[in-house]
Amino acid sequence: MQFSEETKVMAGTQVAIEEGSYLYCIADAGEKVSLGKIGLEGNKVYTIPCQDVCAVVHHCLAQPYRSEDREVVKAWVRTHQQVVEAAWERWGTVLPMGFDTIIRGEAQKSAEQNVKDWLEQEYERLKSKIGELRGKAEYGVQVFWNPKLVAQNLTHTSPEIRNLEEEIKTKPKGLAYMYRQRLESLVKHEMESKADECFKDFYTRIRKYADDVRVEKTKKAEPGLQMIMNLSCLVHKDRYAELGEELDRINSLEGFSVRFTGPWPPYSFVGSG
Amino acid sequence: MKVFMEPMRHSQATLVDLLDRVLDKGLVINADLIISLAGVPLIGVNLRAALAGMETMLKYGVMADWDERTRLWEREHRKENVPPICPVVIRE
Repeated sequence: MQFSEETKVMAGTQVAIEEGSYLYCIADAGEKVSLGKIGLEGNKVYTIPCQDVCAVVHHCLAQPYRSEDREVVKAWVRTHQQVVEAAWERWGTVLPMGFDTIIRGEAQKSAEQNVKDWLEQEYERLKSKIGELRGKAEYGVQVFWNPKLVAQNLTHTSPEIRNLEEEIKTKPKGLAYMYRQRLESLVKHEMESKADECFKDFYTRIRKYADDVRVEKTKKAEPGLQMIMNLSCLVHKDRYAELGEELDRINSLEGFSVRFTGPWPPYSFVGSG
Repeated sequence: MKVFMEPMRHSQATLVDLLDRVLDKGLVINADLIISLAGVPLIGVNLRAALAGMETMLKYGVMADWDERTRLWEREHRKENVPPICPVVIRE
């Protein structure tokens, strides 16, 4: 087993650190197997079964993985994902855990036993979640627009904006400035309505191909683009091609572009619900 | 065969998408035995701030209300209709 430098130092002090089980995911199989040394920092990944499900874990100290070094964190996150994917490929359906999900041991009970007990206790819920997710994967869909282009088009299509623009040309400097401010707020307002309209339209079109959808916060986009929609979609594997076709249609609209990622293990659809 | 948009995966381009999922989501365990991150500097926080595009901050402040509105609309919409399109089949 390998621990970080920080961990070694901590372990060397008089503070007794309990042992723990780092959980990657719950898989749709009751097997007890080793997946090899594919875990965080080369740890051996193995399964802890309970009836016909199992937890995919590695043995660790009962303390979270932490680092100030972002390359280290990135590597950990990638490794976490690779383990989840290995389990996903092998067993078909998994309930992925987020990073740093660790169950600790106790004085009288090993971490492994605690994982077993937890599986036992949550078995029905886990099993039904697995049933819901079977044959499906998560896809990320992000829709962007070019605000400049959209604003330009609005200028052409909105008579109100066009009139105001015409008026500005005839005004003296000081007044024109005020008019321009009015114009800006008008454009802003129209842009928001347009974004609203697009969101509803795209959402309805995408929803048809998904079993479930989560609306995520929009994020900062590359210069010149603005994200107007950020969805996580749970899609049956037979339907993702249809979704791709629909996204193609959206992508081909002038001023719009679509980012389509996946398949992801269903991280967004295993929440406490 | 029809040509359609293929999803991207496993590239540098999808790292942010991966971080969003692995750091923020996943199965939640409600048990005393879980190591709590409360009070502990959360992993990835620095990383998150450092990575462009990770900010939930919107490029244009003007759109902030709009973003909230669409999310509200979706929540309402979800309540009203949208039954699952594919019936969920639970294998016995």
